[in-house]
Amino acid sequence: MTLDLFSSRTTRQRFFIAFLVIPSFIVLIGVVVYPFVYNVILSLSNMNLRHIRDWRIVGFDQYVKVFTEPSQPDFYLVFLKTVIWTVVNLVLHVVIGVFLALVLNQKEIRGKAAFRAILILPWAVPQLIVALTWRGMFNYEYGAINLMLTQWFGLPGVEWLKKPLEAFIAVIITNVWLGFPFMMVIALGALQSIPRDLYEAADIDGASWYHKLRNITIPLIRPVMVPAITLGTIWTFNNLNIVWLVSNAGEPSDQTHLLVSFVYKAAFNFYRYGYGAALSMVIFFILLAFSLAFMRTTKVTENVYS
Amino acid sequence: MLPGCRKSDSRIRITIWHQDRIDVRVILQRQLDRFMKLHPEVRVEQLFKETEELRSGFIIAALAGQGPEIVYGPSDQVGPFEMMNIILPLEDMFDAQWLSQYDPRGLTWYKGHLYQIADKLGNHLTLVYNKKLVPVPPSTDSAMIEIGRRLTVDLNGDGKTDRYGLVWNYTEPFFFIPFMTGFGGWIMDDEGNPTLDNPGTVNGLRFIKELRDRYKIIPNEADYNVADILFKDGNAAMMINGDWSWAGYLNAGLDIGVAPLPRITSTGLWCGTMVSPKGFSINTNIALEKRQWVISLIRYLMAEENQIESAKELFTMPTHLGVQNGDFVQNNEILKGSRIQIEHGQTMPVVPELRAIWDAMRPSYQAVLAGTMTAEKAAPAMQQMAQRRIREMNE
Repeated sequence: MTLDLFSSRTTRQRFFIAFLVIPSFIVLIGVVVYPFVYNVILSLSNMNLRHIRDWRIVGFDQYVKVFTEPSQPDFYLVFLKTVIWTVVNLVLHVVIGVFLALVLNQKEIRGKAAFRAILILPWAVPQLIVALTWRGMFNYEYGAINLMLTQWFGLPGVEWLKKPLEAFIAVIITNVWLGFPFMMVIALGALQSIPRDLYEAADIDGASWYHKLRNITIPLIRPVMVPAITLGTIWTFNNLNIVWLVSNAGEPSDQTHLLVSFVYKAAFNFYRYGYGAALSMVIFFILLAFSLAFMRTTKVTENVYS
Repeated sequence: MLPGCRKSDSRIRITIWHQDRIDVRVILQRQLDRFMKLHPEVRVEQLFKETEELRSGFIIAALAGQGPEIVYGPSDQVGPFEMMNIILPLEDMFDAQWLSQYDPRGLTWYKGHLYQIADKLGNHLTLVYNKKLVPVPPSTDSAMIEIGRRLTVDLNGDGKTDRYGLVWNYTEPFFFIPFMTGFGGWIMDDEGNPTLDNPGTVNGLRFIKELRDRYKIIPNEADYNVADILFKDGNAAMMINGDWSWAGYLNAGLDIGVAPLPRITSTGLWCGTMVSPKGFSINTNIALEKRQWVISLIRYLMAEENQIESAKELFTMPTHLGVQNGDFVQNNEILKGSRIQIEHGQTMPVVPELRAIWDAMRPSYQAVLAGTMTAEKAAPAMQQMAQRRIREMNE
């Protein structure tokens, strides 16, 4: 009797859980699983402008093309640029973000709320506005950056948007400005959750600022920062808006492309849907491998207090 | 009132997707309101989409059996839309007599079928000049250079140029076409094969570089926004810009004139631009019961009085022959210049390969401007890349 009652309650609980989960599960199938599976199928097909309605599965042809087809600029060069773009951005986002969070977390700072609001501002402004404003600021003759360089520092103006390296640096500067507030907010939240007694105990032991940072602050913000860095990596690797808008779709001479803008061009400019899908799958596997390796190396899932 | 409590709208609903700017949208809405007043059983909605979003969004929607009943835009979208079979042939929906009222250049035929009916002809580049600085526009390249040199000045003596003689978005290949044609080149042959490796390309590239580096009458760097602001602020005497910009300059209080781009002295050819009609196409997925209403709507929007209204407020070139030959278009100074430029131009090809050609031109063109490639090397590089892009598109 008791067993029946338990069983019946368990069944009811299971139904209730299923009742709660099923709507989200259906939504997930609709917005994640179905598009993903469809993209896999497209990546194995010959769908393009000429075969938009009569496309067929052609196996791994599109994947072979991704790695072997001569392209302008070269796929491997774009991949290298994407890696450099991601690493430089992430390092600067985290360093600047954590530094500002440490400053804002000091008890002595007055008007923290105002500083916080100002520092979050870049993140709150729509990316389109940010990108076009920075593009204007990088103009050779009229842009604020060159005006500062020439008038304040007596340096020659830089042709930011006309030379490949300078243009690449320009898009990185824009994205650093746009991205550090996210890391700052995350780091600030993590810092505020660290118990004060740990620092007080360290003070009693005579620990220096550096020792407290290394042995208390960094280990305790790590569980929060690692997922944020993983997310940041994926967002930055896949960031189309900033590069596309600041460099005006890859200018100069298609030298500021990232892998994701390659996908965009293939699919939406040249109607090469199969090829674009295969390239996007390659990006997916790169990011999947990175995320798994990074999370395993940083042991983010382990309990920080153990 | 809660949405669920709202009385259901039983009117026939027609949607138009377009990529027109705000002042055009206002006029379109006025015309749609008048149409709906005449036909209370129909509800027409216009929806703005940015050019690329309009194209890709319409493709995705139409392939999925959805999308707006009418898609409005420049004629170069006809090629890909036809290839994907997402727009309907129109020749059986609109009788020949009605069509004969319109400029044939506004009727886009492709592979033997009519796919677009345009109410505006143009999208073409012209020489826009500030009348206060340039009383008489130049008619030759040498005159343009001479005026440009005279008007490019350092007004405050700080060693920097404060006003340029000429500005335009010269990093974009579309704006290079007038110079290519002025030197005798063109982008493709009648079969859609690229013809970029021609003397027109080489000499056109050299000419633009000389305007910047030798005569110094254009800024070192200028995209559309920079050029536009310089001209609006009176810091540029002349600008190369399209028919979409004139109303904005006039509304900003500028005293502008519109003239055809100059003739290149060495070739005797005018700088001809691409001319593209802007018009209506019908989605293949249109419901049968809506078809007649869509035809009525297009006929209404194409009507003489609506084209006059647009021409007067926007200075666009109407396709209605009666309006084209009417007093306003014949006597308006801006439209006179526009008309001459259209006569000097060539119709923009509608084949999908045009995309590959733009894309192939861009890297080498910009490399020449950046000084990392010569014009002689750029032309064959453009050609090779265009051929490869087209091969990839058609594989």
